[in-house]
Amino acid sequence: MENMNASTATAGKVIRCKAAICRNAGKPLVIEEIEVDPPKAYEVRIKILCTSLCHSDVTFWKLDAGPLAVFPRILGHEAVGVVESVGEHVEEVKEGDVAVPVFLPNCGECRDCKSSKTNTCSFGDGIYNFMPRDGTSRFRDMNGEVVAHFLSVSSFSEYTVVDVNHLLKISSDFPVDKACLLSCGVSTGVGAAWNVAKVEEGSTVAIFGLGTVGLAVAEGARLRGASKIIGVDLNSEKSEIAIKFGVTDFINPTSCGEKTVIEVIKELTNGGADYCFECIGLASLMIEAFHCCRVGWGMTVILGVEMHASPMTINTYEIMRGKSVTGSLFGGCKPKTDVPLLAKKYLDKELNLDDFITHEVGFKDINEAFELLLQGKGLRCIIWMD
Amino acid sequence: MENERSSTAGKPIRCKAAVSRKPGEPLVIEEIMVAPPNPHEVRIRIICTSLCHTDITFWKMKDPPAIFPRILGHEAVGVVESVGDDVLEFSEGDYILPVFISDCGECTDCISKKSNLCSKIPFQLSPWMPRYGTSRFTDLKGEVLYHFVSVSSFSEYTVVDTANIVKVDPSVPPNRACLLGCGVATGVGAAWRTANVEAGSTVAIFGLGAIGLAVAEGARLCGATKIIGVDVNPEKFEIGKKFGITDFVSAKECSSTPVSQVINEMTGGGADYCFECVGMVSLVHEAYACCRKGWGKTIVIGYDKPESQLSFSSFEVLHSGKTLMGSWYGGLKPKYDVPVLLKQYLNKELRLDDFVTHELKFEDINKAFDLLIKGKCIRTVIWMASENVPPT
Repeated sequence: MENMNASTATAGKVIRCKAAICRNAGKPLVIEEIEVDPPKAYEVRIKILCTSLCHSDVTFWKLDAGPLAVFPRILGHEAVGVVESVGEHVEEVKEGDVAVPVFLPNCGECRDCKSSKTNTCSFGDGIYNFMPRDGTSRFRDMNGEVVAHFLSVSSFSEYTVVDVNHLLKISSDFPVDKACLLSCGVSTGVGAAWNVAKVEEGSTVAIFGLGTVGLAVAEGARLRGASKIIGVDLNSEKSEIAIKFGVTDFINPTSCGEKTVIEVIKELTNGGADYCFECIGLASLMIEAFHCCRVGWGMTVILGVEMHASPMTINTYEIMRGKSVTGSLFGGCKPKTDVPLLAKKYLDKELNLDDFITHEVGFKDINEAFELLLQGKGLRCIIWMD
Repeated sequence: MENERSSTAGKPIRCKAAVSRKPGEPLVIEEIMVAPPNPHEVRIRIICTSLCHTDITFWKMKDPPAIFPRILGHEAVGVVESVGDDVLEFSEGDYILPVFISDCGECTDCISKKSNLCSKIPFQLSPWMPRYGTSRFTDLKGEVLYHFVSVSSFSEYTVVDTANIVKVDPSVPPNRACLLGCGVATGVGAAWRTANVEAGSTVAIFGLGAIGLAVAEGARLCGATKIIGVDVNPEKFEIGKKFGITDFVSAKECSSTPVSQVINEMTGGGADYCFECVGMVSLVHEAYACCRKGWGKTIVIGYDKPESQLSFSSFEVLHSGKTLMGSWYGGLKPKYDVPVLLKQYLNKELRLDDFVTHELKFEDINKAFDLLIKGKCIRTVIWMASENVPPT
């Protein structure tokens, strides 16, 4: 950990450091030297301590066409770091603070931030390939070419610049690898169970996709006293780890015999689950989840990011029979207020974060993290910068 | 006691009914036979009934679930003529409202606060009495006449399951009580129970028929401060004002700006609650497009065809945080909520009077169809006894 004098020395200057750049869709990231400009007004430059790979990074890494595919780019959005320097007007954090960047903004001033009902802060353009206030990048490669940001975080770099609306401070005592998880996946899942679905004691829950988000939903549902937490995944190896997060029944769709997943879930829940979560990003699964939820009050929550514009088709009749559909980013959590609450629950030994971390690599081996995720091995791989 | 039982109890009744024999053709008033009620059933003498758009949908429909010959009608009020065995809730002479959705009071759904869809006697578009799969109606040739959504009110007498009956406070006039059998209850309930509109909300209503206007009335009662009505017929604005509509948006096809864009601009980002009260898939999408991100709810209460499919971009669902929901009968539990609404009417809180725009004799029932198809009425009440029709 750098001492105060060292970080002050770089304040206001361009920093030269390493970053894992994505230059071509689906190709291994290349660790290169880049230049990181100092933070402008309302911006913070952070030295990343560790970062983890989330499926959304992979989704955009693979994306080769359309307005959301931008190259070269620095991916990564689940991370934790130390503030190296702050731009003008930044009061929330100061040099030396440990901070978690989040892809979802939380300006605290817009109507959405002021409402308790939502986290859909209106700040920014919703795409976040560049710094939100002036649309430019703080990164350049060694040829002087602009390198794009990603989801307002870009954590696959030793240093990054983040808008203050995308940053929250955490205690320097908090274990950094666990903090990193709260930056996206785990908060999304737990938040979805608590804020969006509002799972209550005795509820039945069905979760499609037992990656980190899905298992975090399970963890959230478990903490709320759900009576049945059904996990659906094509990978039977997930069944074991799923138990740690509260999954009571595991379904592998290829092992249901003559029955469909919908039939199995309806049998297990006496007619349908109270809450169904789609945590992969496939329209067909979203529709299946919808059919698994109970008539009368069943709610389907979409958390997966679907990138092919495949429509989700649902029958009006089913909607009129009391089923509802909703979705959210970051599990409906307001980053600045809810992440510290989740952190506290971890410290109070209520929320299980440890079991999400299944692998660790050094920054130079970042492509291994991609391999692991693509092969469906493990949950979160922590990438240590040092 | 024997003396108090009606003279017709236990016997078939011969009476008049308006029978729908062929799709889209005028109903024919004929004599029919109505069998006595089975156990858990009640035979009712209908006082008055009103025409709802769903009756028209099934009157016009050529394919299943439409079926002929059928006695349509499901919004009505009447008096109990006789009860079948095992009926403890009702007695002869009770003033009651039949409702197309059941309320058994015992199943998981009826016990839950969240649902009004009784699972013991589930709603079906069935041509039969719910518990037995048989009909109580025959024509004079002995041919079976089919029931309609467990009510069949276009008849001087009908038979209804006890789970489908609500007691009505005798102070409520019949031509107001019958409105709560479907349309008005659906609209008011949608605002109150399904959406749970809170004071200060902004609401947009697509389709200003009886249901849409009832949503406005319900939203008004809930304290909504901006109630935007959308309709193709500009005359609906004046009418809508009586029901609490504060702003009107015309949905005429020649308009170049989509309705959702107009509403997004009017509301600075979208309405808190959008209600679709017509039953058109395209309108549901329009409604979804102008409900506010973050907390906006789109509520589907208009019913089109059983196979209507909505198509959404999940990316939008994910990013917007909007909720799509819907309900039958406004999410109301008939036996509990209808008396609450009736009380609100008697207390002059819930306004029902302006829904009734026309009143006809039973023999003129086909005029009611005409008026509704042409959009010239909100609710037309059809009185079984002609002397009850108020002079025009």
